Amino acid sequence: MKIKKDEVGWLLLFILPTLILFTLFFILPILFLLVSSFTNWDGIDAEFVGFENYIKLFNKKSFVRAITNNLYWCITAALITVPLGLIIALLLSHRSRGWKVFRTVLFVPQVVSSAAIAMLWAAVFNAEYGLLNFILDNIGLSNYKNHNWLGNVRTANAALIGFSLCYVGYFMVIMLAKTASISEDYYDAAKIDGASQIQKDFYITAPLIKSTFFLCIILAVIFNLRQFEYVYLMTAGGPANKTQVLVVYIWNELTVQRLGRGSAAGVIMIALGAMLLLILRRTLKSETYN
Amino acid sequence: MTNDNSLNFYSIFKWVIIIFFVVYAVFPFLWLVLASLKTNAELLDNPFKLPKVFQFQNYSNAIQEAGLIQLIINSLVISSCATFLNILFASMCAFAIARHIFWWKNVLFLMITAGILVPLNALIIPYYAIINFLNLYDTRLGLILVYCAVGLPVSTFILTEFFKGIPKEIEEASYLDGCNFLARYFRIMLPLALPGLATAGTFQFILCWNEFIYAMLLTSSTEIRTIQFGISYFTNEFFSDYVGMFAAVVVSILPSITVFILFQERVITGLTAGSVKG
Repeated sequence: MKIKKDEVGWLLLFILPTLILFTLFFILPILFLLVSSFTNWDGIDAEFVGFENYIKLFNKKSFVRAITNNLYWCITAALITVPLGLIIALLLSHRSRGWKVFRTVLFVPQVVSSAAIAMLWAAVFNAEYGLLNFILDNIGLSNYKNHNWLGNVRTANAALIGFSLCYVGYFMVIMLAKTASISEDYYDAAKIDGASQIQKDFYITAPLIKSTFFLCIILAVIFNLRQFEYVYLMTAGGPANKTQVLVVYIWNELTVQRLGRGSAAGVIMIALGAMLLLILRRTLKSETYN
Repeated sequence: MTNDNSLNFYSIFKWVIIIFFVVYAVFPFLWLVLASLKTNAELLDNPFKLPKVFQFQNYSNAIQEAGLIQLIINSLVISSCATFLNILFASMCAFAIARHIFWWKNVLFLMITAGILVPLNALIIPYYAIINFLNLYDTRLGLILVYCAVGLPVSTFILTEFFKGIPKEIEEASYLDGCNFLARYFRIMLPLALPGLATAGTFQFILCWNEFIYAMLLTSSTEIRTIQFGISYFTNEFFSDYVGMFAAVVVSILPSITVFILFQERVITGLTAGSVKG
């Protein structure tokens, strides 16, 4: 609708609150982050130090470890969690009896806060009373009795990744929603041709929800890049920085008031995110056109 | 389908997979609930055995020990205010963008929605500085503003798309009848957009309710602490009283699960809406 002259004021007034908050909490912080990453700001004084923060960070083993761990989370999510979600979505797309119940139940972890989920799974992995050790003990793997999953250098990362599979339901629901838009005609035609259920799933449904599958991969990568609560509450980056991730690293820098260094880590994190998104978009796009 | 010997490998595979992941997703919750009703001694025993006497006092202890009621009320107040402001601002902006022609509207829309892709947790240091600069550290208002702001890109996106889908004719008719800008927004668009507002509102509310890192970053006193941040204190507060801690975690999960079960469809569309379009 064209705007009448006397309504321009209203229009601006309607945009203003969003614009102010967006500037204050998106644009300004990013600029701020960029500037302070070149200083040795400690909360009181700040001096320009050039690229020192970046050089120091990349020479820090724990920081490089944090980046690798973040990538590790992203890759597992993209290669294991999302494909598993796809398989479950295909299976539930038959809409056989009770599919809605299964969908709801699988979605539960997404609704509960990550802080609560972290506490819950920390309890599952606990050495003394944990559920996991009890189950392992009972199926005969008794050498895991009293094994401290999250405290052990060798198993901490594996335990975290194993835990992250409980989020499979979120991606499943997104893909399942997409299957509802597929025309019945395809399946009728396939039925006449005598296709089995497995053929229908993998040759009709799966290709038709491909774009949603890629979207889920992108979402999974974004979520895993910025994840914080699980690592912070379950291992705090330990043991021996083995499970460190970027946001926990930034948090630690913040608590010791090395704000310049922390900002540099933040800039690297945003750059990494942008890079991953570009790479994904490019590879997935060429995939779609093939 | 009963043709091609339906009880085949594939349908067995199907149920094995589904049941496996259902167990994976909910079994820990059930275990937690059961464990929260035991004594600490029973906890170290067989986790599947029912407790001799259901220890309901674990819950009353936990609620008192951790001040859970206060934490939940704080969360409720902060999340509701942030959601209200967020939806108000986002719908105003979305109305301006979706229904009016001005040359920079596409730039504005692109800029705001690009905010969805920013990994905001990288910005904790600037947020800390800005909130301190505004003198809002450790205030409810500070947290409300931050929650309202971080949700704006998604809400504006959902609502703009929704507004675009409402037929223009209704609004144009009202325009000819002399409805001004405000009346078109309040009397025509908002009532028609109720489902969209509910979807965006659900997303925003759950986002606020579950938020952890900003609550930890921007508040410190117990009076305004939210439930999610409160959870991180459980390990200290309950020390070796594991069952008490479990009861506290169960209580903190309960509101989310109840709301989810009551409004399943709404919550599912709400939480997946931001992702429908890339």
